[in-house]
Amino acid sequence: MEIEIQLTNEPIGEKISPPSAAGGCGAWVEFHGVVRGEENGEKISALEYEAYPEMATREIRRLLEEISSKNPCLVAKVIHRLGTIPVGETAIYVGVAAKHRGEAIALLAEFMDCLKQDVPIWKRRALPAVSANVNLRTSGSGQSADSHRRLQKVLTLDDAISEIESRCQPLPAVRVPLAEAFGRVLRETVSAPEDFPDHDRSTRDGFAILNDDASEHFQIVDTLHAADWKPRDLKTGQAVRIATGAPLPCGNLRVVMQENAERDGDRIKILRRESGLNIRRRGEDVKAGAPLVKAGARLDAGKQALLATAGCAQPLVSPRLRVCHLTTGDEIVPPDQAPKPGQIRDSNSILIRGLMQSFPCDLEQHHLPENFEAARQLVSTLNLQPSTFNLLLVSGGASVGEKDFTRALLEWLGFEIIISQVNLRPGRPLIFGLKGTRVAFGLPGNPLSHFVCFHLFVAGALAKLTGHAASKYLRGKLADKLEDAPCPRETLWPARLEFLNGELRLRPLKWSSSGDVTCLVETNALIRVPVNQGSLAADATVDILPTAGMLDTGN
Amino acid sequence: MRILFFAQLKDVTGCDVIELAVSSPLTGEQFWKILIEKFPALANHQKNVRLARNWEYAGGETQFTNADEVALIPPVSGG
Repeated sequence: MEIEIQLTNEPIGEKISPPSAAGGCGAWVEFHGVVRGEENGEKISALEYEAYPEMATREIRRLLEEISSKNPCLVAKVIHRLGTIPVGETAIYVGVAAKHRGEAIALLAEFMDCLKQDVPIWKRRALPAVSANVNLRTSGSGQSADSHRRLQKVLTLDDAISEIESRCQPLPAVRVPLAEAFGRVLRETVSAPEDFPDHDRSTRDGFAILNDDASEHFQIVDTLHAADWKPRDLKTGQAVRIATGAPLPCGNLRVVMQENAERDGDRIKILRRESGLNIRRRGEDVKAGAPLVKAGARLDAGKQALLATAGCAQPLVSPRLRVCHLTTGDEIVPPDQAPKPGQIRDSNSILIRGLMQSFPCDLEQHHLPENFEAARQLVSTLNLQPSTFNLLLVSGGASVGEKDFTRALLEWLGFEIIISQVNLRPGRPLIFGLKGTRVAFGLPGNPLSHFVCFHLFVAGALAKLTGHAASKYLRGKLADKLEDAPCPRETLWPARLEFLNGELRLRPLKWSSSGDVTCLVETNALIRVPVNQGSLAADATVDILPTAGMLDTGN
Repeated sequence: MRILFFAQLKDVTGCDVIELAVSSPLTGEQFWKILIEKFPALANHQKNVRLARNWEYAGGETQFTNADEVALIPPVSGG
C-alpha cells in the first residue's frame, strides 16, 4: 500500500485529488475530522493541537500497515493539522483508495479508532469563545466557583506576596560555563576543594630564612618565583630568594623583606628583621570543605571569581529566563514619535527592559492592538509554548474598563487567575496568573505603578523561580516628614536613600498620584506606608524596599 | 539521554526537554524513579503515561541508555 503522511500547521485544503483509477482503484473514501464548537459543554473558538512528530508519523504508518494486512487497500493519505485550529476547520484528513469500497471504509474506521489510542497527538486545550466586550466577571474555561470568589477579593499586600511566593516554584537548574553564569542564581553550595592558600606562602619579595636563625650573613641557596614549588630544608646561614606569593620550601621559616637586606652576589646581610613573619598560612583564607558560595546566591563578579578559584567551571545555576512582555493601549506611541492629542509615549517597554536587566533572560516585546479580537489574533501568532517562555508580562489593560482585556487574554491563553486586585497604592489592579510553572502578571499601565509592582511582585516571583533568597524590607528612619492624607490602601511611597554627611538617609520624594513620573529620576527605594497612616514624622521608623542594586539586600 | 515531555506534562515539569546522563542502562522503573526525584509532581501522572524509546512505545523489558531519546506520552487525543 502506498502511504502518505503529513503533519502540518497550515489549514488542510478542501480539494484533495484522488489517486488515478488506472492502478485498479474502484473506491476513494475520504474523511474530514473537524473542530466542534463545543468541548465539555463549553462553547469554544478553537482547539490547539500538539504532536510528537517523529513518533506520530511512525505510529500512523505502523497502524496503516497493520490494518491493511486485514483490509488490503491501495493508497492511504493522512494529514493532521497542528497548532491552533478554529472551530469548523479540518483537524485530520484521511483518504483511502481500494479496489472496493468495503476494504477502504473498514480500514478508515479502524484506523481512526486506533489513532485516538496510540498516535502521540494531543488536543492541548480548548480556547474559550470570548466576546470582545469583556468585564471582570468574564468566565474562562475551567474556572471554579471558588476561584471566582477569590477573584472578587482585594488582597492585602502581604497576602498577595505570600500567595505569589507560595505558588511559584524554582525552575529546574542547569549547568552552564562559568562565563555565562553572571546574574544567575547558584543552586548548589560550592565548597572549597582544598585549603586556600594551599601552601604557606610569602607575602613579600625577600629572603626566607629559618625563623630562629640569628645569623647576620646568609648564603643564597635557591630562588623561588611565585609559581615555584620546590620543597627543601634550610640550614643555619642559608637563605632562599623568594617572590611574593611563592610557596615556602619548608616549615619554621620567616621572610625578611628585600629592603631590609643587603645583597652581594649570592650572599646577603640582614640589616633588620621585621616583627611579623611575612607568611600567609595554608588554609588561612578558607579551609578545605568550608562553603565558599552558598546555594541561593546571585552570582556577581566576586562570586564568579571565587568559583573560578575553586575550579567550579560549570556551576549549577538557575536557567536563563524567557520573558514575553506585551504592551496594550491605543494611546501609546513609540518614544521616537510625536504623540497626538490624548496619546502618550510608551515608557513601559524600556522600563521593563531595564528592570529585567538584573535577571539573565531573553526578552521579547510586542504591542497589542486595543481590539480584543485583533489582540488575540496577534497573540496566537506568538509562540507561547512552555519551552519558549517562563514569564509573561502584560502592561496596561489590568483595570475593569471595557478595553481592559488583560484578564480575558490570560484566561484565553489558559492561565488560572490567582490575583486580580491588591489593596495597594499605586498598583491596585494587579493581575497574577499561573499556568503550570509559567507565570503571568498584568501590570497597571502607568510607569510608577509598573515600577512598584515590578519590585513588589514580579521580582518576588522571579526570586522564587530562580531560587534566589529574596530581598526583604529594611528598617530605617525617615530623614524628612512624609506628608500624606490617610489612605485606605497600603502605599509604597517613592523615596531616595542617600549618604549625607556620612549618614545613610531616607528622603520621601514628592509624589501625589500614580500618574506622576518625575520622581522616578531619584527613586531608589520604596517606603511602606500602612493603611490609614497619613503623614509620618521625620525620624519615624519605616519599612524600606530598596529598588537599586547598590542596596540589594539579597545574598 | 534526551527526555521529552508533551501536552500537560510540559506544564507539570515546566519544560519540554531535558538532558540526563546515566551511568548504566535503566529499566522503566529506574527511569521513573529518577524522573520523579527531579519532578515530584510527575508521580501523579505515572500510571497514565506511557514511555517511548526512539519513537516507539517501550515494552516492560526496554532499557534506556544515554544514546536514547525517551518520551513521556500522556493519554493521546488526536483526530
